[in-house]
Amino acid sequence: MARKDTVNALIRRGISAKVSEALVDGGYNLQKLKTAPFNVITRFISVEDAEELLRKLGIRKFMAEETAEAKVEPEFPDLVARMRDAKKKAKKRTKPITIPDKVQKPTKLEQLVLDQMKEESVFLPMSIVSGLAQRLRGVKRITRPMVKKLLHRVNEKFAEHSIDAHESIGIVAAQSVGEPGTQMTMRTFHYAGVAELSVTQGLPRLIEIVDARREPSTPMMEIHLKSRITKNVEEVKRIARSIELTRLHHVADVEIDINNMRIVIHPDRDKMSTKDLTFDTLKDSLMEERRISGDMEVEGKTIVITSPESTHKKLQQIMEIVRNTKIKGIDRVDRAVIKQLNTGEFVIFTEGSNLEDILDMPEIDAQRVYTNNIVEVCNVLGVEAARNTLIKEARKTLEEQGLTVDVRHIMLISDMMSNDGDIKAIGRHGISGRKSSILARAAFEITSTHLLRAGIIGEVDTLSGVAENIIVGQPVTVGTGAVELEYAPRSARKR
Amino acid sequence: MKYTRFEKARIIGARALQISMGAPVLVDASDKIIDPVEIATTEYDEKVIPITVHRRTGAA
Repeated sequence: MARKDTVNALIRRGISAKVSEALVDGGYNLQKLKTAPFNVITRFISVEDAEELLRKLGIRKFMAEETAEAKVEPEFPDLVARMRDAKKKAKKRTKPITIPDKVQKPTKLEQLVLDQMKEESVFLPMSIVSGLAQRLRGVKRITRPMVKKLLHRVNEKFAEHSIDAHESIGIVAAQSVGEPGTQMTMRTFHYAGVAELSVTQGLPRLIEIVDARREPSTPMMEIHLKSRITKNVEEVKRIARSIELTRLHHVADVEIDINNMRIVIHPDRDKMSTKDLTFDTLKDSLMEERRISGDMEVEGKTIVITSPESTHKKLQQIMEIVRNTKIKGIDRVDRAVIKQLNTGEFVIFTEGSNLEDILDMPEIDAQRVYTNNIVEVCNVLGVEAARNTLIKEARKTLEEQGLTVDVRHIMLISDMMSNDGDIKAIGRHGISGRKSSILARAAFEITSTHLLRAGIIGEVDTLSGVAENIIVGQPVTVGTGAVELEYAPRSARKR
Repeated sequence: MKYTRFEKARIIGARALQISMGAPVLVDASDKIIDPVEIATTEYDEKVIPITVHRRTGAA
């Protein structure tokens, strides 16, 4: 079957049956032909035929280098090519990889504060240092004792506001997010937000975030463009159209002609022109769809497909494939809408998200592309990016509802979810179900099953968490329970 | 060393227990103050309690 399909595919591209069969018997398919060196192909077919083949398929002709490998294993031309590529790549990478310096250099004032900090052995985070430096700007004479005094005052305030060790921040975070959560309306209006795109909001969205769904119910992207095109409406429109996934049924009527047992496609001129499509591109993308078995012919303004196995059921199947043939665009991006921001810049919003493919486009500003699909961000850009997206999305959802939750609670939750290098849900399948302590897991859900399993494999519990110690009847490891007292003789006491 | 509020509570608590069980009081408390917690708190304020905390670094 596979052989027959490949042969048919080649024939459809205008290659004679004899040549096609010879090639397929030689172990080629369309993909392999693209990487096959010319002089290897000629082992299976004549030089004239091979030349015609490459011309029809639009493949650049190149010769295999007569290397040692090529001579040893000429049966695997693609493998040889791949090995050669790998070798070339290995040679190219001679320059040492330098890690870009992403951290901004401290300003003069910041450096002054930092130096003083070192002297006083005071530690403050950079955000506070730069804040302090900002306030110092404009002060005419900055003296060292002044900075010193200032530093100690700031440090005092900072220490006052920092959280004590052993504070049960997890519970505080859980309550701080949970309580506003109860105030959220169960069902929120959908068609709110960006230009006629519906975005899930409110409680459903929050649940989605916390559950770490692979695909949000309304995936959405915000695509900024490179500065040179961002104000050019026509260009932005063109890009938006090229992003939007267009299937055949969007631009053409497809019907089954039962009398003649064939499928007739009537392209809609108006719809085609709005999508920048021509009759030929339509035809070409149909040609590329390999699942369509049958002959394709152009009859006037229509395309007709006749199937070799003409049962009604088969015809119906083919029609489904034909209707859903991808003509243009990026997978999973169902709609693209342009919106002008206050800055006059045009931005593309999409329904559906495909970060990886969008990032490949040269026209977009890769640094400002945004998607609300957190798991996708994790897969494409990594956990740190995903953690930031998690924080941003959770915060946005709460803020849209008019609820203010301190970011640090959300940050803690995001940290927990992204701690292991990928995004884990909160709950059974995520962090609660994968706690290291067996007693903690048993306390969470399906107690007997967990205990039985642990008994069989002989699990050990170090009693380091809270739930375990409650079960065992010991002081818990938070708050006063975590403090270890020690005798301090008079000589050792100086506080 | 500054104690956190949890440490303070534990130290005063432990000291109050000792006092309630008859340990010699380390401050000059008037006879009117009977509550061991109150005595322990004044002791804490005067920094005479022979108890400190052992702080472990890293994960418990």
